[in-house]
Amino acid sequence: MSDQDRISASVAVMEGQAVCAACGQDLGLATEPWKEHAQRREIPLAQAGGPAFDTGHEGVVLRHFYCPSCAALLDTETAMAEDPTLNDILASRG
Amino acid sequence: MAGTGETSYLVATDVGGTCTDTIIFGTDGVIHIGKALSTPPDFATGVLNSIVSAAEPMGLSLEELLVRTHLFIHGSTVVDNAVLTRDGTPTGLLTTQGFEDTLNVTRGAYGRWSGLTEDRIKNPVQTDRAPALAPRDAVVGIPERMDSDGEVVVPLDEAAVERAVRFLVEEKTVGAIAVSFLWSFLNTDHERQVRDIVRRVAPGAYVTLSSDIAPSPGEYERTSTAVINAYAGQITNDYLTSLQDLLAGKGYAGATMVMQGYGGLLPAAEAADRAVGMIECGPAAGVIGAKFLGDLMGDPDVIAADMGGTTFKVGVIQDGKLEYAREPMVDRFHYLAPKIEVVSIGAGGGSIISVDPRTGVPHVGPRSAGARPGPICYGQGGEEPTLTDVMLLIGYMDPGQFLGGSITLDREKAERIFKEKIADPLGVSTQEAAIGIYRIASAQITDLIREITVERGLDPRDFVLHSFGGSCGMLAAAFGRELSVRRVVIPYTASVNCAFGLVSADVAHEYSVTKSLPATTGAAEINAIFTPMEEQARAQLAAEGIAADRMRMKWSVDLRYSRQVHEVTTEIAAGSPLDDAGVAQLVDDFEALYERKYGRGSAYREAGIEMTMFRLTARGLMPRPTLPAEEEGETDASAARTGIRDIYVEAEGGMAPGDIYDFEKLSPGNHLKGPAVIHTPITTIALPDRMTARMDRWRNIVVEFDAD
Amino acid sequence: MDPMTFSIIRHRLFRIVDEAVITLKHVSGSAITNEGHDLMVSLYRADGTLLMGGVGFLHHLTSAAEACKSIIRRFEGDIHEGDIFLLNDPYTAALHTSDIYLVSPIHHEGRLVAWSACFVHVYDIGAVNPGGFAPQAPDIYTEGFSSPGIRLVSGGEMRQDVLDTILNMVRSPEMVTLDLRSMIACNNVARDRMQSLMTKYGAEEVDTACAELVRQSEDLFRARLSELPDGQWQSRQYLDVNGVTARVNLTMTKREDRLIFDFSGSDPQSPYSINCTKWASLGGLFAPLFPLLCYDITWNEGVLRPVEMIAPEGSIVNCTRPAPVSVATVGAIQSVNNAACSTIGKMLGASEKYRDQSTAVWHANHFAIFKFGRNQKGSESIGILTETFAGAGGARSFADGVEIGGEIPNPISRMANVETVEAAFPVRYLFRRRAPDSGGPGEFRGGTGGELALVPHKAPDGGIHYVISGKGARHPMSEGLAGGYPGAPNSYVWIKAPEDGANAPVTAAGGLDAIPGTQERVSWGVYPLMGRDALYVRWNGGGGHGDPIVRDPDAVCRDVAAGLVTAQSAGDIYGVVLNDGAVDETETQAKRKGIRSARLAQEAAE
Ligand SMILES: [Zn+2]
Repeated sequence: MSDQDRISASVAVMEGQAVCAACGQDLGLATEPWKEHAQRREIPLAQAGGPAFDTGHEGVVLRHFYCPSCAALLDTETAMAEDPTLNDILASRG
Repeated sequence: MAGTGETSYLVATDVGGTCTDTIIFGTDGVIHIGKALSTPPDFATGVLNSIVSAAEPMGLSLEELLVRTHLFIHGSTVVDNAVLTRDGTPTGLLTTQGFEDTLNVTRGAYGRWSGLTEDRIKNPVQTDRAPALAPRDAVVGIPERMDSDGEVVVPLDEAAVERAVRFLVEEKTVGAIAVSFLWSFLNTDHERQVRDIVRRVAPGAYVTLSSDIAPSPGEYERTSTAVINAYAGQITNDYLTSLQDLLAGKGYAGATMVMQGYGGLLPAAEAADRAVGMIECGPAAGVIGAKFLGDLMGDPDVIAADMGGTTFKVGVIQDGKLEYAREPMVDRFHYLAPKIEVVSIGAGGGSIISVDPRTGVPHVGPRSAGARPGPICYGQGGEEPTLTDVMLLIGYMDPGQFLGGSITLDREKAERIFKEKIADPLGVSTQEAAIGIYRIASAQITDLIREITVERGLDPRDFVLHSFGGSCGMLAAAFGRELSVRRVVIPYTASVNCAFGLVSADVAHEYSVTKSLPATTGAAEINAIFTPMEEQARAQLAAEGIAADRMRMKWSVDLRYSRQVHEVTTEIAAGSPLDDAGVAQLVDDFEALYERKYGRGSAYREAGIEMTMFRLTARGLMPRPTLPAEEEGETDASAARTGIRDIYVEAEGGMAPGDIYDFEKLSPGNHLKGPAVIHTPITTIALPDRMTARMDRWRNIVVEFDAD
Repeated sequence: MDPMTFSIIRHRLFRIVDEAVITLKHVSGSAITNEGHDLMVSLYRADGTLLMGGVGFLHHLTSAAEACKSIIRRFEGDIHEGDIFLLNDPYTAALHTSDIYLVSPIHHEGRLVAWSACFVHVYDIGAVNPGGFAPQAPDIYTEGFSSPGIRLVSGGEMRQDVLDTILNMVRSPEMVTLDLRSMIACNNVARDRMQSLMTKYGAEEVDTACAELVRQSEDLFRARLSELPDGQWQSRQYLDVNGVTARVNLTMTKREDRLIFDFSGSDPQSPYSINCTKWASLGGLFAPLFPLLCYDITWNEGVLRPVEMIAPEGSIVNCTRPAPVSVATVGAIQSVNNAACSTIGKMLGASEKYRDQSTAVWHANHFAIFKFGRNQKGSESIGILTETFAGAGGARSFADGVEIGGEIPNPISRMANVETVEAAFPVRYLFRRRAPDSGGPGEFRGGTGGELALVPHKAPDGGIHYVISGKGARHPMSEGLAGGYPGAPNSYVWIKAPEDGANAPVTAAGGLDAIPGTQERVSWGVYPLMGRDALYVRWNGGGGHGDPIVRDPDAVCRDVAAGLVTAQSAGDIYGVVLNDGAVDETETQAKRKGIRSARLAQEAAE
């Protein structure tokens, strides 16, 4: 990986570390799940995005992952409560 | 000269994207040709320049010519240009409440991929639809609704219409309003009521009703048509009015007829209210011109190919009949109007040649150097090799003979850059590379024409190929042979073919009634649909000054198999009014046409046959000028031979000596054998080996393939 | 070989596929083939590997290759010039029974040199429900006729006994005949054109060009993969049917010039027909891969070689017989496709060079509603609601998604006009338009989906019925990227007319809630649309890209004016305060600041 790469448009890479692309906040090693270093919040789907998201069912949430420094929303996940976090990592090129 | 006074003239001027062409027929049987650059957006200047350029060699001033002119026929890209440059009148749309997004949504992905090349379609992430000509915030839904029988389900809310019109005119400052309601083509009441309200509330606004401009089913296409017409309506009106004023100011007292995309003429006053009718009328005129020549030469089946600097256009005439486009578009907008099908592909003399650095495979196009900077050899700053440069490198063009010697082509520069960018990466000599590119271009055009004919259920081997445009003559014989067409004709009028088409057209009106009837319907019921249309048409033509004995009525019906989507417009061959035998013949003709077009076994008769649309084409025959014909004289063409030069010769697999001829020195009846090149003042005709060319009595070059 | 001749042969191969597609559409004349472009035609090499994939339903490119290969295995030594084989068994190669493959060997001078294959979604296949999607089928045995390979045409002659046997099992044999005829004509055109290509250039030369074309695609794709960062990306899809939710889990790993799609952890196969077989999963992941990663590379076997798929047996993405699969194409296959689009979008977004090629998920959830019944002309009709082809584009890293812009795996679909539907079925639309708030919020918003409502109109039987195989009414499926939200989920509502006998609504500008009656959610099975009742469908928007509170406030303002985003969501989600239809800059800044504080304040609350 190089500093030209990113983990996503919102999570950049600096010298092997995942960082918030907006403020540079360190989010741990780019080769490990950065979400462990983010601020996580679960919103019931019905409240997530206007009336169109209200399905009349419970048990589905929209997970938000924020930068702990600038509060940028770095990623979202649709999930059922018990399901694990989705992780995106870069590999160091050997 | 100006004093003879006896001769009067028919003047036809076609405004194309680059050039404005004029052809003048005198009653003395002499043809005169003029050409000038088009001058968008003020096209009238180019029109006058073009007429002047034809009048000058006649020894006439513009005024002297126009005073002696009895008819002016005109075609123009003014509407296409207004749409392409987004230069029309700000337009609002009134539509059925609940369906306000119909225009914007373009039947889903249809508007996103339509008009794109396959390369771009394969990368959907980089595609978008073009923003609608009536923006979404200028679309207002009106409470009203008809059903599929044209019965009113919800009456028109007139107060809502009035509010909407005020909103559009006052807050959105639109100058044009399109009206398109569901099922309006079956019951026009609501749209007409809206027009009355607009006229009262906003008398200055230009109004188009979908039921007027496109009385056909399919609300998306009908709405889009109404919006395009409203958007370009005022510009078209202004243009035709000012052009007529200009001509009148120069002494012209006759009528002005305007070409329509369906290949017929309308008086200027009528054309002004049907902007969509003028879309692509130039290419349509080109096909009409090819048809006229085909008729003259006894060839009812013609593929008309026109290749200029940027585009390659193909029209097909089958059994003397023209093909209409099923899904016409202007820019990336769909519309519904009868239009002669002319398939346009981005390939021309300006197509850029490249070698894919990843694979080493050469490509012709899709990028084009266009008119500016153009090919390298033009010396206008072009730095990328084009097809025209290749023509020069394989000896088909003569550096000193381009456009009558007015520009000297830079062969050295073309060769240097071609070697560096194409030949070296391919690892072959410049000559080999150039010949290879020529073969690729010829093969790709072959593929495209074959696909176009297959789409129509036709076999190219039954056709004569007409070659028009500055670049086509250098390739036509080569791809014509690969297609196995019967022969190739490079017409004498090739350089001004669209203008020539204008004078071969008739006044024509298209009428239609949409109604779904089973094929078993009796003749009386069908006659009852056509009779009022025909009465209306006769009255219209009479009002335009067409004598009754010059009126021609053609009835046709769109039919389809009940559970299939393909509709086939089938001409009623029996006389009118119809009898039941005539209806039976119509159905038989439809079945034969369907199988020919869609293939054996494509018909599902068991589902029954439906008639869906009844069409009347009313023509008022125009006096047809005659092309002067000469006697065919001796076959020996050596008097026109100006030399020998190395050109590409397929049988030799490389460059070999070929005869060079001067078109202007050829005379009717001359025969010449390939390999040879004929230089005309505006283009070059390549005659490959194993072919023979003859100049016929109209000075057309006719190429025949030697038997193998 | 000579690069000029190669270039000519390559161009001609493309045109051969085009001509075959034209023939297929011409002869078939059916709405689903001509309007929905629910078809595919491709050319295969003598060993059945993909040579040239056309622009059709892309799920099929690899499955039809497997169909060719399994025909080769089954009929080895007994494949003759002019034969055409039929295959539609999902456990052999097909996606579901109603997408029939016709596979033709192409011979030149007596030698087998290539194959052509095509499919259409046939009018009916004789499953328990009409139209091909059979939500009521408990197993493959009730999903209609299926064959692992049968000779339909022998040496150019139709085997009438075989054809009659097939037609004996379907609801509308005439329409199915037409579908089969169109595929035969299509294969015949492909065969004729391939043969004349070989006659002109020689079979050896053409085969060399084909091998080169495959090699080039492989080289180009591997080179592209090498340019992308190495890493691992995950995505997940939920499919709910009747309250039972199944997961498709995907971990995509990219190492140098290889790509591995691992579906381990996906749920066991479902009792419902949303399952798919492994060939179908492979097709599902390639459907977005071709246009997203190989938009400028010829779609053939070369693209397949660097890719590996791991799909656990017995799972929803690799089910075992006799699990039902008739809804696969809009079920697990579509979810595989969504999951792959999501991970590929993430990988592209991780590369500076290819970021503009990355996209959030498009149209993740077809609603596949087939209407059937007697129409106003008195004839029995079956027809898909073609709005299902009119999905919404996912947001890109540089632009919003295309509103109702279609879908990635079927690049050239379109939906029918309202007038076309109302002419053919005894129904009337109350509205059909873009659905507000359906596009996934983001800095770049996902394209909006749509909504429609239908009532019976002048129906001879008082109405019609419909088969619905709807999923995604509980879960958004069009995932966002980089902080973008998913598009809103689908919604299917049966509005039951009030008891008081009031007439069916004639207009409903106010949307769903303006239609009188009680609302009942439906999603799976066969339902009536009778009397004064109405059916409401809202379909999903595309996923968003980036944090919605950094979206250009003027863009939000325009969205509200155009009815694409509600004022409520403009404030709550985008943090944009509007005043008299214009952005209030100060209030907006304050609102966005407040949203940021609330986000971090969560920590304290948790
Ligand atoms: Zn930050």
